[in-house]
Order: sequence, then structure tokens, then C-alpha cells
Amino acid sequence: MADNWGYVAVAYAVAVVVLGGYWRRLIRRERELAILNAGVRNDGMSRSQQPSETAHPRSEPGKRHSLP
Amino acid sequence: MAWKDLVIERRSKETLNALLFFSLALLFVFQFALGPDRERLASVLPGLLWLGFILSGVLGLGRAFLVERENDCWEALLLAPGDKSAIYLGKLAGSLMLMAVVETLVLALFVVFFDVDLSHALPGLALVIGLGTVGIAAVGTLFAAMTAQVRARELLFPVLLLPVLVPVLLGTVKATEALLLREPLAAVAHWLKLLAAADVVYLAVGLLTFDVILEG
Amino acid sequence: MTTVLGWLAGLGLVAGLVMGFGVAPREVTQGNVQRIMYVHVPAVWVAYLAFGVGFVASLVYLARRRPGADRLAHAACEVGTLFLGVNIATGAIWGKPTWGTWWTWDARLTSVAVVFVMFLAYLLLRGAIDDHERGARYAAVLGIVASLNIPLVHFSVYWWRTLHQPPSLLKPGSSTMPPVILIALLVNFVALALLGAYFVARRARVLAAEEEALA
Repeated sequence: MADNWGYVAVAYAVAVVVLGGYWRRLIRRERELAILNAGVRNDGMSRSQQPSETAHPRSEPGKRHSLP
Repeated sequence: MAWKDLVIERRSKETLNALLFFSLALLFVFQFALGPDRERLASVLPGLLWLGFILSGVLGLGRAFLVERENDCWEALLLAPGDKSAIYLGKLAGSLMLMAVVETLVLALFVVFFDVDLSHALPGLALVIGLGTVGIAAVGTLFAAMTAQVRARELLFPVLLLPVLVPVLLGTVKATEALLLREPLAAVAHWLKLLAAADVVYLAVGLLTFDVILEG
Repeated sequence: MTTVLGWLAGLGLVAGLVMGFGVAPREVTQGNVQRIMYVHVPAVWVAYLAFGVGFVASLVYLARRRPGADRLAHAACEVGTLFLGVNIATGAIWGKPTWGTWWTWDARLTSVAVVFVMFLAYLLLRGAIDDHERGARYAAVLGIVASLNIPLVHFSVYWWRTLHQPPSLLKPGSSTMPPVILIALLVNFVALALLGAYFVARRARVLAAEEEALA
């Protein structure tokens, strides 16, 4: 019977894309939220800036986000 | 209170009428979709019957908490003293009666329109329909309460209910099929046990978790 | 802790690939297309493991109302659905050259598809409720119903597919598998389970961060 390596490749590719894509989404979301929460915590004084969930996260000067 | 009862009674009649006309419409659609081939119709009859039952059930159960929702009585439900499970049983009983009426009439319509002879299978059928309906109503009442206060409830209710009801659908259709083919009740014993087990599980979860749903 | 899990998962995946492609032999009847099994089968095991975790977490939440249990239930059910989706997709890709069709309504495929749709509905419910506490409660109830329904789905579908026979309680035993294939399956299962656990941990963390953001 033919080996059908093409199908094997596609199957594993699907798995990689789905699982890898989910992983990337988790990392991205965690990053966004970390910035958001840090920003909210530091914004004790300036209430005028209202970070919304969809706001593009601004990079904080002097802050490094170490990722696990 | 009396006014609420009057509203409920009128609403039930509305629902009943609507469900009956819905079943009639389904019947016509089945006939037109499947054409005049009598044999094919006979072979799919159990499936069609239960399709009709379940679709009517979804429609009817989806309205189980309509009165409370529309008249802003939801808070009254939440604040009602005592065991909320009683409310679950009450709603369940109401739905069961409604479904029983609809199913009996749909069955009669099937006999007439599709020229089916049920006389040999009636007791067995009654059992299967009873077990299946209890299962549908038990989960349906729970999910109806769950989706009552939720966005897109008309969509979410069938989406939640139908996948969960697959075992009930399978069991009832296969059992009905066997009974219509004149098989003895013993031959469908495993299906009956499955349906009974499902009923027990759904009722137990419904009774135990209904107050959780009605917490707010 | 999560980081360690992630690294272990990575190692496991490498080991799994080595086993699946290097060590395991070319299968006699199907040829090399059978190697899809090394991701397809462990995926469904991991999915059901995740649903089991979700079930217990839902019970714990209803009993104790601990937010951590709710997050765990949510994450576990989501990751379970993810792996089940991978299982279905890889299964279809395996089926095309093997059976000649992408899909067939046999017992295993059908019951997996039903479970998949049930938990998709769970995720839909989660998304449809804005009130966080109510969402946790309702999802816990739905999670319990869905999990308890899994054996009912399995039996009903299996009996549906084996007509006119008195049913045996469980599926008939699988055909004898050469031990090396079994070992490869187990290695891949451990790898995917580690990956799943890593995903659940991170997803729960994201949920906690989202709660903090909304507070």
C-alpha cells in the first residue's frame, strides 16, 4: 500500500498549527494583560488615561517584561 | 396571583396551539421532502417522529421561563423561599404535560397521514416515549432556566440542548424502530435501560443544581 | 512551575516524534500513513483527561465557590476541546487514504464529534454571559451535565452502530498491537498530556489576569 507521506505531513502540520497557534495566542494575551495590569496599577494618579481592553498596549519606558 | 395564573394558562394554550401547528407543518415538510416513496418513508418514520418530538420540545421548553422573564418576575423566582427544586419539579411537570399532549396528537397525525399501524406496539411505544420525554424535559427545564437571562438565549438554548440529547434521540429512535418492526420489548431492553439511566442522571443533576442556577 | 511544565512538554514532544518516526516500524497493513496515529490517538486521550479535570473542577467550584476551581474548569474544558479538535482533524486526514473517505459515522468518530459539539457549546455559554460569577456557576452546571453525558453518548452511539446484537458492555478489545507501537503511543501521550497541562496552567493564568484587568 502506498505510504501517503503527504497525508502524514498534513496531519502533523495541522496539529502543529492548531496547538502552536493556541500557544502563541496564550503568550500574546498574557503579555497584553501584563502590560494592562501593570499600567492600571501604576496609574494611581493619572485617572484620565483609561486603558480599555482593546487599547493598544503602550510600552512603558524602563520596564522589561520577562516572559517565562 | 390569579392574574399571573390567567396569563400562564393563556400562554400555555398559545404554546400548545403553536406547537401543534408547528408539528403539522413539519409533517407536511417531511412528506414533501421525502416524496411518495412509501418504503423510504416507513424506514425513516421513527426518526421523523422523534425529530418532530424533539423540535417541538425545544420550542416549547425554550418558553418554559418566558412568563417570568417577560413580566419581570425573575427576581421573584430568585427570592422565593424554600427549596428551589420544587420550582424545577413544577416547571418539569408542566412541560411534561405539554409535551405529552403534543406528542399524542403528533402520533395520531402520523398514523393518519402516513398510514401507520401502531396497534401492536402501543404499550412499548408509550414506555419509550415516556422515558424519552422525561429525559428531554429534565435537561430542557434546567437549560431553559440557565439560558433565560443570557444573551442570545433563543440560539443558545437549542445549541446547548441538542448535543446533550443525542443519547436520548438515539435510544428512542432505535427502540421505536424496533418496536414498529414488531420486535418484542425484550429486544430493546438495553435501550430502555439507557434511557432510564439518562433520565436518572438528568433528573438528579437538575434537582441538585437548580438552586445554583436560581442564585442570580 | 509552569515554565518547567513547558520545557518538559517540549522534551516530551521531541521524544514523541523520535518514537513515532524513528523507532516505530512501518506498519504492515497501512504503511507509513499509520504514523498519524501517534498524534491522533494520544490527542483524544488527553482531551478526555482534560474533560475529567474540568468535571472535578466544576464540582469543586459548586461545592466551595473557589475562583481557582472555576478558572481550572474553564481552562481544562477549553484545552480538552482543542485537543479533541486536533483528534478529529487528524482522524479525517488519516481516514482519507485509509478508508477512502474524510468522514464516516462509525461509533468512535460519531461519539467524539458529539462530545466535541457539547463542549463547544460549553465555551459558547461561557462567552455569552457577562456576569462573571453567574457565568462560573452556569458553566459548572453545564460542565457537569456534559461530562456525565459522555458515557451515555459512548454507549448509545456504540449500540447504534452494532445492530441487532446483544451489546457487550465495553468496546471489543483492540487488535493486538506490537509492543513498540504501544510504547510509542504512550510516549506521545505523555508528551501531549504535558503540553495540555502546560496549556491549562497558562490559560488559567490568563483568566486570572483578565479578572484582575476587569476589576
